[in-house]
Amino acid sequence: MSTAVSPAPAASAAGDTPLLRLEGVSAGYDRAVILEDINLTLAEGETLALLGRNGVGKSTLIATLMGATVLRGGRMQWRGGDLVAVPAHRRSAAGLGWVPQERWIFPSLTVRENLAVTARPGKWTLERVYELFPRLQEREDNMGTQLSGGEQQMLAIARALLLNPRLLLLDEPLEGLAPVVVEELVRAIGQMTLDRDLSFILVEQHARQALELTSKAVVMDRGRIIYDGASDTLLHNPDHLNQLMGFA
Amino acid sequence: MLAILLTVLFDGLAYGMLLFLISIGLSVTMGMMGFVNLAHGAFAMFGGYVATTLMQRAGVPFLVTLPVAFALVALASIVVERLLYQRLYRRGPLDQVLFTVGLTFMSVAGITWFYGPSQQPVVLPAFLQGQVSLFGLEVGIFRLFLVAVGLLVAAAVVLGVERTRFGAKIRAAVDNPVMATGLGINVGGVFALTFAIGSGLAGLGGALGIQILGLTPAFPLKYLVLFLIVVSVGGLGSVGGALLAACVVGVIDMMTKYFLPEIGSFIIYAVMVALLMWRPHGLLGKKS
Ligand SMILES: Nc1ncnc2c1ncn2[C@@H]1O[C@H](COP(=O)(O)OP(=O)(O)OP(=O)(O)O)[C@@H](O)[C@H]1O
Ligand SMILES: [Mg+2]
Repeated sequence: MSTAVSPAPAASAAGDTPLLRLEGVSAGYDRAVILEDINLTLAEGETLALLGRNGVGKSTLIATLMGATVLRGGRMQWRGGDLVAVPAHRRSAAGLGWVPQERWIFPSLTVRENLAVTARPGKWTLERVYELFPRLQEREDNMGTQLSGGEQQMLAIARALLLNPRLLLLDEPLEGLAPVVVEELVRAIGQMTLDRDLSFILVEQHARQALELTSKAVVMDRGRIIYDGASDTLLHNPDHLNQLMGFA
Repeated sequence: MLAILLTVLFDGLAYGMLLFLISIGLSVTMGMMGFVNLAHGAFAMFGGYVATTLMQRAGVPFLVTLPVAFALVALASIVVERLLYQRLYRRGPLDQVLFTVGLTFMSVAGITWFYGPSQQPVVLPAFLQGQVSLFGLEVGIFRLFLVAVGLLVAAAVVLGVERTRFGAKIRAAVDNPVMATGLGINVGGVFALTFAIGSGLAGLGGALGIQILGLTPAFPLKYLVLFLIVVSVGGLGSVGGALLAACVVGVIDMMTKYFLPEIGSFIIYAVMVALLMWRPHGLLGKKS
């Protein structure tokens, strides 16, 4: 197992330009620099588990992809082009679908409006996300904040799917949910990516579940990447996983 | 006596509609975007001068000057927003107050320089002059027209915010600008357009109000407090609240000016203080 950055990924069907490539990225907030020297490559159709303890910078990395942090240095490439040059409000159109950790449902919008206001044409339609999450259809006229935590999480995922993204950024979607709901969501995530043209990055503190759902894994500690390799490898080496996650 | 009372009441309503048209943009920018724009009255005044200038210098019919006043003021406000206001969004309210009060005085001085200090005349088209009998009550046709325009605009604004995709974008951008941006909403653009529409409505109100409110360079200072009362009593960002408050303020102001001219302004401020003590978040404002 390498603890260093893995070699370039195998060429994807679309050619050998990766979907996403970060080189030496450092970023943070107004005063604090949180991320340092982040290197990461994701091929088209690949799925990535982003692991690490509380406060190591997982959400900051996701927010950096969305242009919601202050970038201090490094390069970010998206499908061969420069991602940094894409203004934050155009990144969803470029193919990034953000499901933030806080869910951030719009409270003044109904469930249906939350879904429709930013929807983009594509194979994910209102009908299809309602098929995936029937509960949302039942509650479509409720205001966004009248939903339970689990329903809000479904709404946040459905809202991102309706952007018809190429890469879904799922920031701890299972956090704080009842086991039944977790099961339902895990099933949904598996279903979503049956077609190989949707990739995702799944942020999780509970590593096992995330590793089972993904092909690649990255572990972060204090703003840096300390492991980059196959999910399987980590899954079958619990000692190494525990050590990386700081439980050893 | 009753007929006089009803006529004054109706005049107050028409006056309230003008206050509503001008104040609604201020209510939206202060309530939704948290920006204290005390120069809002200057946009209304600008609309009034656009209308009189077009009528006097180019013989443009009154009704045609109204959409032009709306559009020109909306456009001018976009320039002001992009060049000046945008820098002030992250500053504190005191900076915003000082900056926009400064702009107001500049606009007063600028207009005085161009047009002189005197009252601008307006000649209404014949079909808007005179009286008409409504349920046995003689009312001015122009005032009836003002009430109709006010109600139409109120309905359009409510429907626009509640029922259109653009309205949903405004609400989303106000709720959570970071998430809205991440989902593809150009928050700065949405705010600028909202601001422009609100300013354009003020310009429309200014053009419609030349006769009733009067039009001199002192306009933005003379009415600023009334606009703020409408916004505050109505509840920040509430369209229905602003409409209700504008009608209440308009009727009370008109009544006291007519029946109790010596203490007219005392009463309107006393009512404001009482209403705000009774409902600190405005008549229809949300408790935060
Ligand atoms: N808006 C912010 N401004 C300043 N610092 C922040 C902000 N958000 C997060 N941080 C800091 O950045 C660091 C990384 O936070 P981040 O949310 O990225 O961690 P995380 O790995 O997602 O943690 P968790 O698993 O708890 O969600 C923390 O030290 C945190 O305090
Ligand atoms: Mg996090």
